[in-house]
Amino acid sequence: MGKIILTRFIIEPKIFWKIFFSLGFIILVGFLCSHYMETEGHHVTGMNNQIIWGLPHIFAVLLIVIASGVLNIASISSVFDKKLYKPLAPLSALFAIAFLISGLAILVLDLGRPDRLIVAMTTYNFKSIFAWNIFLYSGFAAVLVIYIWTMLDRTVNRFSRYTGIFAFAWRIILTTGTGSIFGFLIAREAYGTAILAPLFIIMSLLYGTVVYYLILKIINYYQKTLMSEEIIENLKKLTIIFLFANIYFLFLYHLTNMYITKHLEFEKFILLNGGIYTLAFWLGQFLIGLILPLILLLKEKQASHKSLILSSILILIGSFKAIYVIIIGGQAYPLTIFTDYKIVNSTFYDNVVHSYIPSIYEFGLGIGGVALALIIILIAIANLNFLPSQISTTKTINKK
Amino acid sequence: MKNKQNITRRDFLVKSLTAMSIIYVIPDIFSKTMASNKPLNVEVSAQTKWAMSIDTDKCAKNCTACVDACIQENGLYGFDRPDTDPQWIRKITVQDIKTDKVKTLPMLCQHCENPPCCDVCPTGASFRRDDGIVMVNQHTCIGCRYCMMACPFKARSFVHENLTQQVTNTPRGKGCVESCNFCVNRLDHGYDTTACEEACHKEGHEAIVFGDLSNESSRINKALKNKNNKILRSDLQLKQRVTYSGL
Amino acid sequence: MYLLLRRLIISIIILISPNLFSHGEETHTLINKSKADMQNQCVESTDIMRKQHFMFLYHQRDKTVLKGLRTKKHSLANCIDCHVSYDDQGVAIPINSDGQFCQTCHVKTAVNIDCFACHATVPRGRKNPVENKNNLSKIETKSNMLIKYFAEHGNEK
Repeated sequence: MGKIILTRFIIEPKIFWKIFFSLGFIILVGFLCSHYMETEGHHVTGMNNQIIWGLPHIFAVLLIVIASGVLNIASISSVFDKKLYKPLAPLSALFAIAFLISGLAILVLDLGRPDRLIVAMTTYNFKSIFAWNIFLYSGFAAVLVIYIWTMLDRTVNRFSRYTGIFAFAWRIILTTGTGSIFGFLIAREAYGTAILAPLFIIMSLLYGTVVYYLILKIINYYQKTLMSEEIIENLKKLTIIFLFANIYFLFLYHLTNMYITKHLEFEKFILLNGGIYTLAFWLGQFLIGLILPLILLLKEKQASHKSLILSSILILIGSFKAIYVIIIGGQAYPLTIFTDYKIVNSTFYDNVVHSYIPSIYEFGLGIGGVALALIIILIAIANLNFLPSQISTTKTINKK
Repeated sequence: MKNKQNITRRDFLVKSLTAMSIIYVIPDIFSKTMASNKPLNVEVSAQTKWAMSIDTDKCAKNCTACVDACIQENGLYGFDRPDTDPQWIRKITVQDIKTDKVKTLPMLCQHCENPPCCDVCPTGASFRRDDGIVMVNQHTCIGCRYCMMACPFKARSFVHENLTQQVTNTPRGKGCVESCNFCVNRLDHGYDTTACEEACHKEGHEAIVFGDLSNESSRINKALKNKNNKILRSDLQLKQRVTYSGL
Repeated sequence: MYLLLRRLIISIIILISPNLFSHGEETHTLINKSKADMQNQCVESTDIMRKQHFMFLYHQRDKTVLKGLRTKKHSLANCIDCHVSYDDQGVAIPINSDGQFCQTCHVKTAVNIDCFACHATVPRGRKNPVENKNNLSKIETKSNMLIKYFAEHGNEK
C-alpha cells in the first residue's frame, strides 16, 4: 500500500491569524452572551415555562449529531476497510472531537446552574438517559483520542481497525442516546417513540458527511492536496444514499404518528396548520433539506464541486429546520391533559399554541459554539499532522 | 345525676388525677383526626401516604383562593411576566366535548407514584420522598429543565430571574426547577393541611381535600369514599396521588 | 540540588500558609443587635462552629430535604433566625449584606457563600409552631379535645 504522508496545515500566517481572531471574537461574544444569561437569569432569553428548550439546544443537538456523523468517513475506512478514505480518516476523527466539545459547551453553558457542573459529573441518576449521555459524550472524546493515536502512530497502527470498530459502536450508542433524550419522553405527542433513535443516527450520517465535505473544501482552498475526483464521486454517492434513508425514516415517523389516533391532532398541527412550524417542516426540512439536494445531485452524471457545495449548504439549512421542528415544534403544541374536555382558559397557556421568539443571546451562544468547533479544528491541523500531503486514489494505493 | 354537695379535697384530688391519667392514656385515636404532630426528628416514611382529591363540581368559577394561598405560603412573587413567572397551582377552565358544560378546576403537580420527572433527572434532584411527595432537591438541581419536558401536566416552573424576597419556609432560587411540594414544610412541622386546601376550606367551597391515605378516618379517605375519583391521563399509568371527581 | 531544595521549601511554605492565617479571632461587628449576640455560644462550641459549620449544614440539608428531618439545631433557618441583626427601626438586615454576620469572615477568607441565592436572608413568612419539648402542650391539646368531645356529646349519662 502506498505510504500516506500527513503534514500540517500550510497557510500564510497573516491569513491564519485573521481567521483565528475572527473565530476567537465570535467565541468571546458567545461566552459573554452565556454569562449574561447566567447572571440575569433566563428571563432575558426567549425560553420560558412553555418553550423550555430553545435555540441553544437546537445548536447543541445539531452539533452533537454532526459530531457523531462526521466520524463516518473514518469508520468507513477502518471498519468497512475502504482504502480510499484512509488518508482522510484522522481528520474525520478530529472533526468529531471538535464538534462534540462545542456541542457540550453550548449545552453546559445554557444550564440554569452551570456552576453546578461538578454536581452533574458526580451525582448520577442512572435511570435518566441524560446521565448516561454524560458518560457517552465524555467517553466518546477519550475513545476518539485513542483512535486518532492508532491512526497516526505507525507503531500501533495495526490496532486502528479495532479502535475504529469500537469508536463506530460507541458512536451508534451515543447517537441512540441523543435521540432517546426525546424518545424516552412520554408526555408529548412528538416524542416517546423508539424511532427517534435511528432517525437521529440517519440524520447524523447525512449531516456529518456534508459537514465533512464542506470543511474539507475550505481547507482544500488553502492547501490543494486533499480531494480527488474519486473522493467527491464517492461522497456524492454517500450523500444520495443518506438522503434517501432520511426521507424514508422521516416518512415512517410521521406516518406511524398519524396512525396513532391520539397523536393525529399533533401531526395535523405540524403538517398542516402549525403556521411557522408547518413552513419549517415542508419548506425547510423537506424541500430545501431533502428534495432539492436530491434533485441537484441526481441531475448530473458526474460529481462536481459546485453541486456538492450547494446541496451541502441546502442540507445544512434543512438540518437546522429539522431539529427546530423536532425540539420547538414538539413543545409548541399544548399538552393534552384531558381526553374528554377541551381546555378553554388557563393562566399557564395550557390552551394555546406556544410561540417562541429567540433572543440574540441564545443565537450568540449557538454561533459561539460553532466557532469553537472551527477554532479547535484550525489549531489542531496547524499544529499536528492531520492533512494528507498528496491526493490519494485507489489507483495509487493498489500500486505496491 | 350527682347531688350537688361540697367536694372534699380527697374527692377533688382523686377526680383530677383520674382525669389527668385518662388524658395520658387516651390513645391517639382522637389525634389522628387532628394535626399529625409529626416530631421534627423523625424521618418520613412510607407509612404516610399524602394524597389530594379535587371535586370539580365544588370548584367555584371565579375563585382563585388556592392560587393566592399558594403564592402567599411559598413566596411565589412574580415579575409581571406571565411567560416566565412561577405557577405551582393554576386554575383551568375546561369544557366537556360532549355536553359543552364548562367547569373550572385547579391543576398542580400530581405527585405520581411513577413520576416521569424523576426518571429523567440526570442528577436525581427530582425525587419522590417516601411519603409520596414528589419534589426537587434544589441543592442538586443543575437547571437542565429535562423534567419540565417530561411532565405530562406542565406542573413544573423554572426560576428565570434572581430572587431576593423568598420566604424562610420555601427556599427557591434562580436557575432551579420547582413545583408544588404539597406544602412539605407545613407537613414536616406537624400540620396535616396544605395552604390550598386551607384556603378552599376558608372560602367554603371544600373542593380541595388533602390528607393521609393510610389513616382510615382522614378527610381524604372520606372524600374518596363519597364520590368517584379518577386520575388524569390514566393511559400513562403514572398512579398519581392527586385525583379528580366530577370529571 | 540547592535549587531543587529551595523550590521545595518555597512550595511547602505556599501550601501551608492558608493554615497560618486561620481567622480564628473574627467576631461580627454589630453587637447587641441580634439574638446570637445575647448568647454565650452557638448550638455547638465556638471553636467547632468556626471550623465545621459548613459540614453541619452540608449534612443537615440532605436530612431535611430527603428525609424530612427538621430539627432546629443545625437548620439554616434557625441560624438565620438567631444571627440576623435588626436595625434601629427593628427591621431585619439581610444576613448576607456587607458587615453582617456571614460576610465578616467570608470576605476575609474569600469563600463565596451560595446559600442566599435561594434561602431567605431575613426571617420572612409564616412561622412554624414551636417544637414540643415537653408533654405539657400535648396534655393541653388532649384536654382541649376532651372538652370539645364532651361539649358536642353533652351529659349523655
